[in-house]
This record gives sequence, C-alpha cells and structure tokens, in this order.
Amino acid sequence: MSFQKRLASGEFVVLAEMNTPKGVDISQLITNARKVKGRVDAVSVPDMDNGVMRMSALAGGVLMQQQGIEAIIHTYGRDRNRMALQGDLLAAHVLGIQNLIVAHSEAMGNGDHRDAKTVDDLDEIGLLKAIQGLQQGKDLAGFDLEGAPSFTTGCTIASFGDAVALNAVLADAKAKVEAGAQFIVTPPVFDVARCEALLDKLKGLGVPVIATIFLLKSVGIARYIALNEPNAGVTEALIGRIRKASDREQECLRIAGETIVALKGKVAGVKIETLGWEHRLGAILDYAQI
Amino acid sequence: MITAERKPLAEIIDSIDDCRRILLVGCNECVTVCSAGGRKEVAMLASALQMDFMKRGKTLDVREMTLERQCDPEYVEQLAPYIGQVDAVVSMACGCGVQEVAKRFRDKRVFPAVNTKFMGASEGPGIWAERCHGCGNCLLGLTGGICPIARCSKRLLNGPCGGSSHGKCEVSDEIDCVWQLIWDRLKELGQEDRYEEIIEAKDWSTERAGGPRKIVREDLAQ
Repeated sequence: MSFQKRLASGEFVVLAEMNTPKGVDISQLITNARKVKGRVDAVSVPDMDNGVMRMSALAGGVLMQQQGIEAIIHTYGRDRNRMALQGDLLAAHVLGIQNLIVAHSEAMGNGDHRDAKTVDDLDEIGLLKAIQGLQQGKDLAGFDLEGAPSFTTGCTIASFGDAVALNAVLADAKAKVEAGAQFIVTPPVFDVARCEALLDKLKGLGVPVIATIFLLKSVGIARYIALNEPNAGVTEALIGRIRKASDREQECLRIAGETIVALKGKVAGVKIETLGWEHRLGAILDYAQI
Repeated sequence: MITAERKPLAEIIDSIDDCRRILLVGCNECVTVCSAGGRKEVAMLASALQMDFMKRGKTLDVREMTLERQCDPEYVEQLAPYIGQVDAVVSMACGCGVQEVAKRFRDKRVFPAVNTKFMGASEGPGIWAERCHGCGNCLLGLTGGICPIARCSKRLLNGPCGGSSHGKCEVSDEIDCVWQLIWDRLKELGQEDRYEEIIEAKDWSTERAGGPRKIVREDLAQ
C-alpha cells in the first residue's frame, strides 16, 4: 500500500529518514535502505535542509525508488528560486517521486557553506502554494503546464517553548494546511505526554500528523539538546536512563522504539531520524515491534 | 544615497482610509535629495490626500512634519508631542525611517508612502541609478571603481556575458554593460591586466547569508 493510501486509510505510517552522501559513493545509502525495505512505508530523503552540502534529495529519492522503496523528498526555498524549485518538482514527478515534505531549512550562516548566497525566493507557504498550482496545471507565472504533476505533500512545523510559541506554531500549521499541506511532520518528540497538547490541537486541522522520532545517540547529544532546547522534552530522567545503562547504544535505540510504541494511536505515523545511524534503524523498528 | 519613489496615491489612500487625523512625516536626508519624501513632497502629498478625502465627502486632518533624519531616534523623538493626536503616521522616509517610527511609537499604526528602491547616484536632473548593493565586501578596487554586483544584470564577476552588445546589456539597451564600463575604465587607468585577474566565488556571508547585519563600533558604542 502506498504512503498516500496508508495515510488516507488511517494505518500507522512508519517513515525512515536517509541522508544522501556528501559525495557520490551511494553504497552505504543503498545498503541501509535495503535493510529497511518492507519494514517502513517510505524513506524520506532530506535535501540540504541542515545547511550541509550533499547530493540532492531528488537523486536520493530516485535511488530509493530504484530499490523499490517509496520516497519522500524534502524541498525548501533557501537554495533555489521559484524557477529551479518548480523545475525540480516537475523532474521529481516524472522520475517517480510521489511525495514531498516542504521543510524548514537552517540559515546559511549555520551550514558548511557560510559564504553561499541565500536565495529565499519562496517561503514555505509560497512553496506549498506553488506545488498546489503545479498540480492544477499552472506555474507561478500563470502559464499552463504540459501535463500536471501530482504529489502527496507535507509540511514541517517549528519546535515550541511555551504556550505563546505553541499558538504561533499552530497558526503556522493552519496556514500551511490551507496552502496545501496534506500532512504535518512535528518536531522531535522525546516526551510523549508533553506533546499531547500540541497533538490534540493539530488534530483540529484535519490532516494526519506524523511525529518525528529523533534518535538520541549519546548522553552528550541528549545533554546538548536539553541545554539548547530546554523545552524539547529531553528530561534529566531520560539523560540519566542513557547514562546508567550498561549498553548505552542499545538504550538509545530502545528509547526511540519505546517512543514509537507510546505514540501509536496518538499520531498517524512516525518519521525516524537517526542522523548517521541509519544502519541501526532495524533495531529501533524491533524495539517498536514494527 | 538611498533612493525612493512615492507610492501610487490610491495605495496610500487605501492604507489610511479609516483615519481622520494623520501625521505625515518626511525626511530631510536621502529622500529629499531624490525628491521622494522631503518637505516639498510632504506638502504635495498632504494636499492630494485632503483633496481626495474632500471629494468623497470626508475630512482628513494632516499634520506635516519633516525630520532632519528619520532613521535616527533622536529626531524621531520630535514626533512624540503630536503622536497622541493622530490615528496613524504616514512616513515618506525610506524603510529605515518607517521602522524607526514604528519602533518608537509601538501603539500607533505607521504606513509607508514611498517605495524604497536602491542605493544610487544622480545621473542628471530627475534620474537616479543603482550603484551599490551593500554586499558588505567591496570589490570596487578590483573593478576600476565600477560595481558589477550592483550594475551587472547577472552580477557577473569575471567579464560580460554573451548578451553584451555595443556596450549595452541584453536586458535593456538603456542599461550600460557594466563590464564594458569596467574595461573602458581599466584601459584609461592603464590597468588592463586587472581584467585578466579571476575574481573568486564571492563570499556572500557579508551580505544577507549571515542574517540581518549590524555594525558595532566598540569605540563609540555605550
């Protein structure tokens, strides 16, 4: 069953995130993807959202499709103007990509090409509307297309620290749904109870919500997040659990798996981000009983 | 200077249509020089707005003021005695001035009456042209004092594109090909060898890639 059909039917959706290489050696990407084939519903391929130059998501998505794995590719406005974005979206469709995530992108100054020119021609709402337009057979200049693409398109939303920020996030999510987002991907969920208020309110928008599972790979990473994003839900108890574990790696994987289990019934699905530990996705799925 | 052009009257009217009293504020600096928002333009716009309101059977009180510099808090403060008496402020300064007024008077609506265009210079009476992009990393020393970032349609750094023809740009024959100008200038200076030097991919982190910019002079900052 396709990702879109699974979302529509209300079946729990499991997505794995796979980053393309910084280079042309795709062996690791393909090996990791093959390992989760049949165990996840689709693989999401980020572009250069985090500011690190790498192989484009379009190529990564096509590689997934070639392996018989449904792909979701990220798109955003920082690096491409409306011409390039629309051109790439048409290309994505004809190359078999059926799903998009209009993603937030890191500021250029926080990436690995700090001297690059920022484009930012379209923001996320503008890009969602552009995708809607393409699907209706029109480009952003109003010209007719020879054949319109079709996508299942989602959006991301920002993390929030307090009730005021939560309201801003909800307003943003509402605007994105109105602009054409068909599903919403949340920020990383570490504490399911803490996220329930957000999840409840997002349900009111009438589109499926997919929770991000961010693998905490070490005590150091957990501490870093707790320090820099105190409201993210990485608690002292959680950090302590990793620190005290006899096998910390396994404990991190177990935590990710348990979070998925805790989210079942509360969200439409999960997107698992392992950031370099894609080879451990299988273990997370085991712990999640998937 | 920062150049600007007055917005269409209909757009300004639309923004203040629910107002009965406004403060119309000009600036004595750049927008005065480019005849967009100085004392004279303030008076002309005030009359035009009042006439339009009168024609539609409405009234509009306009208090006219022109500050020495609207981008400077010290001068913006001069609006304070009058701000409580108006429904909104209409600023004829560049975007910097509009924002300074909005920052100082947080509970008052502020509308721009001009479109801020570019940093430019006068080419003759009534003509201003773009000269500087404010990229934060000036390379005029390499290009004979003529900027390819601001003045080349494609921002090319290493000579003209194929669209340069008889010294004009392919975008419009009213635009000089800046690389023709640079070449001519380097020849005049006897620095033709400069033309052969390859300018590396530009560091845009000093432009907007690094986020909104700020200058802090430690010796002056308090």
